[in-house]
Amino acid sequence: MLQWEGLIWCAAQGENMGQSEANDRRTTIDLRNLSRWYGEFQALCDVTFQLAPGRVGLLGPNGAGKSSLLKILLGLLSPSSGTGHVLGHPIGVEGTALRRAIGYMPEADALVPGLRGADYVALAGELYGMSRREAQRRAHEVLTYLELEDARYRRLEEYSTGMKQRLKLAQALVHDPPLLLLDEPTSGLDPAGREAMLRLLLTLGRDHNKSILLSTHLLGDVERVCDSVLILHKGRLLLQGGVAELCRRRQDRYRLQIQGDATAFREELRLEGVQVLHDNGRGELRVAVPSQWVTRAFFTLADNHRVLLRGLQPDDEDLEELFHRVLKDQT
Amino acid sequence: MGESLNRAATPELLHYRPWRGEFRTPAASIWPIARVALTSIFQKWMFWIIYILGLLIFLLFFFGQYLLSWAETQAGETDVQLGGWGRMNPRHLIALFRGFLKLDGSAESYRSFFAYQGYIVMIVLALAGSILIGNDLRFGSLPYYLSKPLSRWHYLLGKGLAVAVFINLMTTLPAIVLFAQWGVLESWEYLFERFDLLLGILGYGLVLTVTLTVLLLATATWLRRTVPLIMMWTTLFFFCRLLSAAMVDGLRFSPRWRLIDLWNSTSLIGAACLGLDLETIRPGNQPPWYEAALVLGGVSLLCLTYLIRRIRGVEIVR
Repeated sequence: MLQWEGLIWCAAQGENMGQSEANDRRTTIDLRNLSRWYGEFQALCDVTFQLAPGRVGLLGPNGAGKSSLLKILLGLLSPSSGTGHVLGHPIGVEGTALRRAIGYMPEADALVPGLRGADYVALAGELYGMSRREAQRRAHEVLTYLELEDARYRRLEEYSTGMKQRLKLAQALVHDPPLLLLDEPTSGLDPAGREAMLRLLLTLGRDHNKSILLSTHLLGDVERVCDSVLILHKGRLLLQGGVAELCRRRQDRYRLQIQGDATAFREELRLEGVQVLHDNGRGELRVAVPSQWVTRAFFTLADNHRVLLRGLQPDDEDLEELFHRVLKDQT
Repeated sequence: MGESLNRAATPELLHYRPWRGEFRTPAASIWPIARVALTSIFQKWMFWIIYILGLLIFLLFFFGQYLLSWAETQAGETDVQLGGWGRMNPRHLIALFRGFLKLDGSAESYRSFFAYQGYIVMIVLALAGSILIGNDLRFGSLPYYLSKPLSRWHYLLGKGLAVAVFINLMTTLPAIVLFAQWGVLESWEYLFERFDLLLGILGYGLVLTVTLTVLLLATATWLRRTVPLIMMWTTLFFFCRLLSAAMVDGLRFSPRWRLIDLWNSTSLIGAACLGLDLETIRPGNQPPWYEAALVLGGVSLLCLTYLIRRIRGVEIVR
């Protein structure tokens, strides 16, 4: 597993892991050497990590093992080997207690046709074990908080995609769980709805101390909401670290627009350690610069080679590109 | 939504409030599941029509018993003229009606009631199956239920309870009302002397409830939609009946072939619960009730096994 400085919570290996009891108090999720097989296929391979309370992004391409991990964390699937605790509850043993401590927001609609919004959330409260009266009261509170007050007596079939997403969040929040497992919470939302949902999640995590495990393929969501990230690939934990640190590890990149013979200029860039990532042949280059690079160097080199630098624009590697670069490096 | 969730503009009311309270046991979630399922059924006007139709049969028995009882008190000793068929004592006439219409508070009358009411129940269940459980699989409601702190058993029990409530509202409960009515009309002693009949009614209701509930849950989980479900129920309860009749009554095969008719099997066990002899059952030439019980038990077990394999929590996260 790759690690770097600034790691929010780092998994030590093997014997140095220490006993879980002391850690349970300060960790939300603690998995050790967790593996899961489906017949011959290994979905999770020796996954070990510990997460402190906070907002964590779970990233990975399709087939990375995210779904299997969520199933195990929800207590719906037992690991083939390894152990783990979620909020102090051992996984694979206390499925019911686990799910009571977790609010799960599924990616699929998961609506009950015919119900009204308030009934849907109140039913979730009852299923979590609240009394009917308490569940109803709490449903109205949560729906008000999520700005669905006016729509709470509408039938679920009449809700828009954005409202459905908030409704699913409401049913996950109704029992005030300390941990939220969110599966693609911005799926299908327009930019405004997405921004609002991300702000809401950030508020829940930052101001109301909810631990959030955000499973998504949208790295922008993770960057916006989370303070640490887990990256799974082919069932293995590829990366664990702070999002801020991850972002600092991005390559500095620039988009250059030049006029004149660029051959010598490009060669000079290469000698200076600058990597030309893309050249469209019409005087537009995308380059990755080494650390300590100063922007003025572009102008100096251009001047040396009688090239006119018409445009210079920072074009940093986003998290997605970083993710794929890391994947490429690893594989 | 974007603007409205701006923290600066958010009024105090919209702040998140923590909740601290006691959670109940997962078994407490069974009734909410059943309640929601029943609400979904009764939101459809069609079910009210069928339910009222079912009530009409009950009302026919209820007022039939009442009218005959009232007529008996009004009848004198003088014979009455029956058109061109001669004269007859009214008491004998009423007794004849009671025997013919099975409105005499006997085991036969309750079996007759269950048989008529059962047809309505089957129609309703065939229509309700997709709403009760099929829609959970079609529209993805299953993740909603199973991601909560309950097991698939709680989910199935909740759905089963909804079906059971519906079946018993149409069969067992009205039958108990008829039993009580007969006691009030004829003699209070009837309620104590024929307590076995009350147990028989409860037994018949239990057989219907268990068999139909498990069958409905399994077929609705398998087929999900209403039309295939109706076709399946028609095959199970209509064509199997025709086939068994053709084999036993037409081709003179063993009476055991009647066991493929599940509805006949429930009737056999029900009749046994009410203490009726095999000879009183039409059509005749029936297998013993315990063989029917074995078949129904086997079918129920098969359905339960299928349900447990099909209703799986791991499908929650795709």
